[in-house]
Amino acid sequence: MRLRQALITIPLAGTAWLYALVSPLAQGAGAPDRWWGPGEDRTWPQRLDYEDAQGQIGVLRDGPPLATHGHPFFTALSANGRACVTCHQPADGMSLSSATARARWAATGGRDPLFAAFDGSNCPNLPQEQESSHSLLLSRGLIRIGLPWPPRGEDGKPLDPEFTIEVVRDPTGCNTSKEYGLNSPRPTISVYRRPRPVANTKYTTHQNFGVLPFIGKNGLPAARDPDTGKPSAMNLMSDARAPTLKVQALDAAATHLQMAAPPSAAQLAAIVSFESSLYVAQSRSRTAGSLEEPAGPSGLGPAAMQKGEAGVLGNNTTRWVIPMENKWKSLPRGHDAAENERNAARESIQRGHDIYMFRTFWIRDSMHLNSVGLGNPAKRTCSTCHGMHMTGMDTANGWMDIGSTNLPWAREEPLNPWNANKPEMPLFKVTCKDRVAPHPFLGRVIYTQDPGRALISGRCNDVGTIVMQQLRGLSARAPYFSNGSAATLREVVDFYDRRYSIGYSEQEKQDLVNFLGAL
Amino acid sequence: MARHKPMIHAIALLLAAGAQAAQPDPAIRNFIACPIVRDTASVPCWLAEYQGELYFLVLQTDVSAPVNPPWLGHRVLVEGRRSDKPRICGGIPLEPVHLSVIAEPDASCNQMLPAEERYNLTFEPPRPPGPSGGKLAFNTLPMPAQPGAVKSETRHYTLNYDFNGLVNFKHPFQLAPALETARAMGATHVEIVGYRGAALLSDGTIVPEQAGLAQRRAEQVAELLRGAGLTSPVYAVRWVDTAAAPDGVEDYQRRRVEITLLP
Repeated sequence: MRLRQALITIPLAGTAWLYALVSPLAQGAGAPDRWWGPGEDRTWPQRLDYEDAQGQIGVLRDGPPLATHGHPFFTALSANGRACVTCHQPADGMSLSSATARARWAATGGRDPLFAAFDGSNCPNLPQEQESSHSLLLSRGLIRIGLPWPPRGEDGKPLDPEFTIEVVRDPTGCNTSKEYGLNSPRPTISVYRRPRPVANTKYTTHQNFGVLPFIGKNGLPAARDPDTGKPSAMNLMSDARAPTLKVQALDAAATHLQMAAPPSAAQLAAIVSFESSLYVAQSRSRTAGSLEEPAGPSGLGPAAMQKGEAGVLGNNTTRWVIPMENKWKSLPRGHDAAENERNAARESIQRGHDIYMFRTFWIRDSMHLNSVGLGNPAKRTCSTCHGMHMTGMDTANGWMDIGSTNLPWAREEPLNPWNANKPEMPLFKVTCKDRVAPHPFLGRVIYTQDPGRALISGRCNDVGTIVMQQLRGLSARAPYFSNGSAATLREVVDFYDRRYSIGYSEQEKQDLVNFLGAL
Repeated sequence: MARHKPMIHAIALLLAAGAQAAQPDPAIRNFIACPIVRDTASVPCWLAEYQGELYFLVLQTDVSAPVNPPWLGHRVLVEGRRSDKPRICGGIPLEPVHLSVIAEPDASCNQMLPAEERYNLTFEPPRPPGPSGGKLAFNTLPMPAQPGAVKSETRHYTLNYDFNGLVNFKHPFQLAPALETARAMGATHVEIVGYRGAALLSDGTIVPEQAGLAQRRAEQVAELLRGAGLTSPVYAVRWVDTAAAPDGVEDYQRRRVEITLLP
């Protein structure tokens, strides 16, 4: 009840469903607690289901139920009190929603380890007891990522980047901080990104189509697994800086967990093993009912993710990106109003799928899409880029610039005397050096909220490119895009509609939202 | 961004003054122009205008197509041969054709033509818009096979480049076999030779690639092979930065890097 009372005091526009989700009363008798905290002595069953914004998220696990006590994924391995599970919650599709962050703030008065000063606040030097110091996590679900400048190569040596970078706007104060900023003793660029879901990892780490020793977008060497030497799909993180789950765990241990020494080999193996055992997808739609009926579409629900073929390119003839088999193309209507409503919702999901697969629009000036052989512009569909079977990711090396962080397309606060809101995100000016060709679509000077992959590669053409995410479990983990700039799936669709001048009808937008929400 | 455009003009004019050459074939159409994209009821087609005539370049394709479409916002170097085939999308087809996007942006290249019934492409079945195989879709390239037992003998590979280009999205499928073979045969030496080319345009202008590009190409390939883990062989990296005299026919083949693997 304490949590329930606290939530009532939080002004959350458009998140009325949050109350229902975080209220212990709403979950039903016997349902597991939504929040899995570090150090708890619980059992992770083979199947977990939680209510989410559009129905219910399902989390399947290979193997028997798991005792979390002492397991490194669930154990605070350092003094900051966090564990992997802190930012990878099953109720949030193994990611972390901003709604959950707000709920934790309300429940703990901001003392949850989630809000650690290092990266759970806008900058470590801010007064940590103040909610405003954690505004990006609370409003957009963003974690601070401090990356060295200039970027480092795999050998740890500084690269010679193809561009210079300046801080134009610094609402968090971190990029101009003498202690943490670009001109600090350890020059650092702070960007703010959403935690990615650690589930369906057989798809994000596959060794199948598109995984080559050289990157399919630019011919440069692919990052390799340091243990095996095999090239990576480079699809795990938004900037592809970690080639494997193990390397990601090491990165997270050093940063998010602030461990002084790396986890042991056994701990790393246990973390990777657990992460590799999870499958997440929406299991029920509030309007369309169960997404897992045997007679329904074969590509929906977490069991479909468990059974699916990893690392293959989807198509629209034999191996669909999201197999629906037209099962919900035309459903009967009868005298049962509830059933009619359910069938109408299912038909909307099917129509959304068909828009995703077949509704063409002009894709223009998107780096690493238009530049890789399709031409600029290319008249294609959502599934052109979001083409990996079952996940809707790129099959490998999936970083592109769709404008989610680069101006002029990135969401910016309108500045005028009548708007009291101030910009939340930093803004950087990137200038490509004379020795390289200008960015083909943005020219030599680029303004960006997050240079993305370019902070790792140092390449001008990578500025603002972000590795696309899997499209599964979306309803459980708003907000969307790497910078949390879309609060809802509708805002995602609206962004694309605006960015590519698509001209979706209202019905098309709703159908797409329903389709994405059912994944 | 238009500030780079005069540079190409200057080079072209400079060379045109003293480097006129006879056209070897009257059907050759080599020129630099803004590409034009025309919508159709199915896939868009790409065109370019030269001396008052419209030429068909290519249909919208996939990554693995032999010729990839150009970009609006950039001019394109067209190196092609006029064919006698019926017009496509209103343009005379160029076959074969090689297209190189000019790196410098050019905002004036922004012509999109609407679909017209007379330009419909009657393909059956219609080319699917999604990531799909099928007629008029270009099936994805097969992943390079891992070489099995490889004879211990000298191997040669050639990488071809777009005009003024370095390694791009097409090269992984050429680099990967060289890398895997080098590993499988236990290559002890890798010889890399980079070349710079020039293009003979149909108006007699010779446009050379950037000076120093042969070296950059050769060194980049060595860096990529090493970066992909091929560190044990001894590398001999050379370049020939003097562009061979272009003939307007095979100029695209002279923009290259040759890799030799020695046992």
